[in-house]
Amino acid sequence: MTATSLTDRYVAAAMRTVPEKQRADLGTELRASIDDQVDARVENGEPHSDAERAVLTELGDPDKLAAGYTDRQLYLIGPRYYLDWWRLLKLLLWIVPACAAFGVALGKTLAGDGIGETIGTVVVTLISVVVHLVFWTTAVFAIVERSGAGADNFTEWTVDKLPEPTARGVGFSDMIATLVFLAIAAGAIIWDLTIGFIPAYVTTDDAPLSFLNPGLWPWWIAGLFVLMALEAILAVVVYLVGRWTVWLAVANAVLALAVAIPALLLLAEGQLLNPEYFPTLVPDDGEKVATIVGIVAGFTIAGVALWDIVDASLKAARSRR
Amino acid sequence: MSETEALETHLQELRRGTAVLACLRLLERPGYGYGLLEELSARGFETDANTLYPLLRRLEKQGHLTSEWNTDEARPRKFYRTSAAGSRLAAALTDDFHSIAAAIDALPAPGGLK
Repeated sequence: MTATSLTDRYVAAAMRTVPEKQRADLGTELRASIDDQVDARVENGEPHSDAERAVLTELGDPDKLAAGYTDRQLYLIGPRYYLDWWRLLKLLLWIVPACAAFGVALGKTLAGDGIGETIGTVVVTLISVVVHLVFWTTAVFAIVERSGAGADNFTEWTVDKLPEPTARGVGFSDMIATLVFLAIAAGAIIWDLTIGFIPAYVTTDDAPLSFLNPGLWPWWIAGLFVLMALEAILAVVVYLVGRWTVWLAVANAVLALAVAIPALLLLAEGQLLNPEYFPTLVPDDGEKVATIVGIVAGFTIAGVALWDIVDASLKAARSRR
Repeated sequence: MSETEALETHLQELRRGTAVLACLRLLERPGYGYGLLEELSARGFETDANTLYPLLRRLEKQGHLTSEWNTDEARPRKFYRTSAAGSRLAAALTDDFHSIAAAIDALPAPGGLK
């Protein structure tokens, strides 16, 4: 008889996730309640099978009912730990994948692997790091949620944790820092090309031994100074506007790329750094040192540009809210 | 969300907790699952079966209800009864409900009803 078997199946399904000890008690009570409800409907003239269907449909998913009986949560991470979980995950996702990708890329390049293989390895590393981070963080929180262990909150909120509102705006000190940095950089480049950081060494034609390729003077360096002047103007504009807007962030990104892309192209062609620098300083292993310094310089240029773009974009995005 | 849906949600939130109070007071006289469901509904406390049954278990676990199997009839039924602790809880909840009702009466009337 199919009519009884529906109730049988329902009770069995509901008891599946109930602890062994309560099963008989709960099962008998649930069955009696269902039968009572079905009987009441049948007395009102409904056919038995329809009544049974209606009652079971109303009771809903048996697993959900069982969870109600046993106080089991039907969520992975509830409101008690959600914010802690989300903050920690965001923090880790900001820091760990970037560090891992940078480290792997640097390592592969120093090992002399090709660009394709390096990019492939970085992508694979990134994916697996992100998956592992999300999985393990969530797994730990889910276990804590279920074990009932742990404080009410890992980190209790206090008013001291309120973020400084100035973080969204751009302070005077930000502008000054940018201007000072640009001035020092310009001074260092001129110093390098005219006097040299190691005045004791002089090239064959009595010029200073510069770190940068002297062939970049005057046009490449002039172009760089123009871009740096534009960056200085941008810093002042951002300070005057009071915050990063979308257009300022775009201008910042264009400037950062305008510096980084030519620099990386020159570096790749071996024209950015002075090819005589390391062979003169380290006669034995000059070539090898020059290669390593070139790679590190490339990563630094790319990293600084990327950070600059991301930082300004984030500030622009935040100040829009 | 339509206006009726919003009304439903708010009414549900407002009524949450009144089912507990109603159960505790009704079960001063012993009762079983389905019988209680009917009585609640007859007295204006519409409660779903899948809310009520787990609720009875929870109240029992907390010691606010005691239970006993009645196997005299063909269909064995579990009868619940409010314990001493349950009666105290019911008294406290009733007091609180009255003070909430008084506080609501003292509020300015809703705009449309002035």
